[in-house]
Amino acid sequence: MMRRPVEAFRRAFTAMARSPYLTLTGTATIYVALLSMGLVAAALGAGERLLHAWAGEVKLSVYLAPGADLAQTGSAVAALAPGRSVESIPSAEGLRRLAQGLGEEGRLLDGVGPDAIPDCVEVAVPGIGLDQARALSSQLRSLPGVADVDYGTAWLERLDTILRRARAAGLALLVGLGLATAVLVSNTLRLAVYARREEIEIMKLVGATNAFVAAPFLLEGALQGVLSGGLAAGTLLALQAALLPRLTALLGPLAALPPGAGLALALPLGLVAGGAAIGLLASGLSILRFLRRA
Amino acid sequence: MIQLFHVTKEYPGEPPALSDVTLQVGKGEFVFLTGPSGAGKSTLLRLTFCAEAPSSGQLLLFGRNVARISPREIPWVRRHIGVVFQDFKLLPERTIGENVALPLEVRSLPRREIRRKVQGLLRSVGLEHRADKFPPSLSGGEQQRVAVARALAADPALLLADEPTGNLDTERTLEVMELLAAANARGTTVIIATHDRSLLQRYTRRVVALERGRLVSDGDSIRQAGGL
Ligand SMILES: Nc1ncnc2c1ncn2[C@@H]1O[C@H](COP(=O)(O)OP(=O)(O)O)[C@@H](O)[C@H]1O
Ligand SMILES: [Mg+2]
Repeated sequence: MMRRPVEAFRRAFTAMARSPYLTLTGTATIYVALLSMGLVAAALGAGERLLHAWAGEVKLSVYLAPGADLAQTGSAVAALAPGRSVESIPSAEGLRRLAQGLGEEGRLLDGVGPDAIPDCVEVAVPGIGLDQARALSSQLRSLPGVADVDYGTAWLERLDTILRRARAAGLALLVGLGLATAVLVSNTLRLAVYARREEIEIMKLVGATNAFVAAPFLLEGALQGVLSGGLAAGTLLALQAALLPRLTALLGPLAALPPGAGLALALPLGLVAGGAAIGLLASGLSILRFLRRA
Repeated sequence: MIQLFHVTKEYPGEPPALSDVTLQVGKGEFVFLTGPSGAGKSTLLRLTFCAEAPSSGQLLLFGRNVARISPREIPWVRRHIGVVFQDFKLLPERTIGENVALPLEVRSLPRREIRRKVQGLLRSVGLEHRADKFPPSLSGGEQQRVAVARALAADPALLLADEPTGNLDTERTLEVMELLAAANARGTTVIIATHDRSLLQRYTRRVVALERGRLVSDGDSIRQAGGL
């Protein structure tokens, strides 16, 4: 549409410098929106990682049929779940752990013989998704000598639902916020377009296409968005540097934050890209509305 | 080059601005469009550079029916037309050189070629020393010469001028008219809307007269002047 992008950049920068107030207003609006969006996204991400860390407790228990060989089944299980930590627990040990878990009440088990509990192989599956857990347990169930597989269904199901709902709600919130911001900023940019209506009129008079007229406006919007995105990302990183150590100290005894609890690289990049998209949409809305009338 | 057949242009709630006008302007002609204020001169020019469409009748431009020109094509049609207005319509925040460069930038010509062309254009209107000045610092006559240079920048086949000398004294008027006549001598078709009768007396050219939207006479200016 533009054979000379450099020229469009030059025109965009000139226009931005000519109306610094409008440029500032637009940038500030997108910045505030992106900052709130970034906070929402960061909170969602942190929550998700925290839940996943807690879900690290999740284990699949493979119960053996009476008379099956524990060592043999253990290695078969390990072969199906490569990279997972696998532990074989003979029934006596299982009983001891159960008693320990019950504490004072453990004495209730005093009369129970070791055969009351089957031999068991436990697979630690931190961060496993529900689908994966289902698939893995059905594979395990079909191993010879396996009586049953327990994958903490209720726990995982609930976690999965929570995560999926939070993600959908968060996404809807982010998209809605982005669209609202674009409309808001497009109203500001309409003033910029209006201030340059004479220039637009004359450009069209001398044979400019709509694309030629619109290009610097679109670039201007995108540049403002990128600028806002960079600022918002910087603010979030600064906030993180200031707050994360304190948060860790606060949460420390409760639950150590998992490694990488900070912002993922995707967030700053997403903010810049989101800013560009909002700016582009906003300027597109304002200039196209104007050109359609002209 | 331009053919009008029974062209009428109406605005809501007003008598027709143009009423059943049939007219042809050939390649290389120099035509005065005249008539009292409100006669429809500007309206006819606006139809000709596709700023508006006729309410009825047909207007052929370079052999094409404007009713069939889509909005997307209008820029390409406009690139064959230069327009000059009474109030110059220069961009006050751009230098003289940048104003003249505008039609060339719109065509995405290489920067160096634009610079070279603009120098030549400014020289041809006697303003090469003003290239870096801004329009408000120039006199009316100089601003109109800049506007003429801009209109001629891309060698249009057709030059339309709407009261180009309306804001100028006699001497500046002659300077601008000389530029338009020179463009015509190089082959550009020129149409000048004016209500200034002294212009018609000075130049022996074809004169098309409108009154209340109707074409009332079409002939050369000697006969016109005799009948006035
Ligand atoms: N945009 C418009 N809306 C309504 N009426 C218009 C418009 N443009 C021109 N007219 C009317 O059309 C008539 C012719 O105007 P115009 O073409 O400007 O005449 P001229 O240029 O000969 O003075 C006038 O009565 C004017 O009021
Ligand atoms: Mg007029």
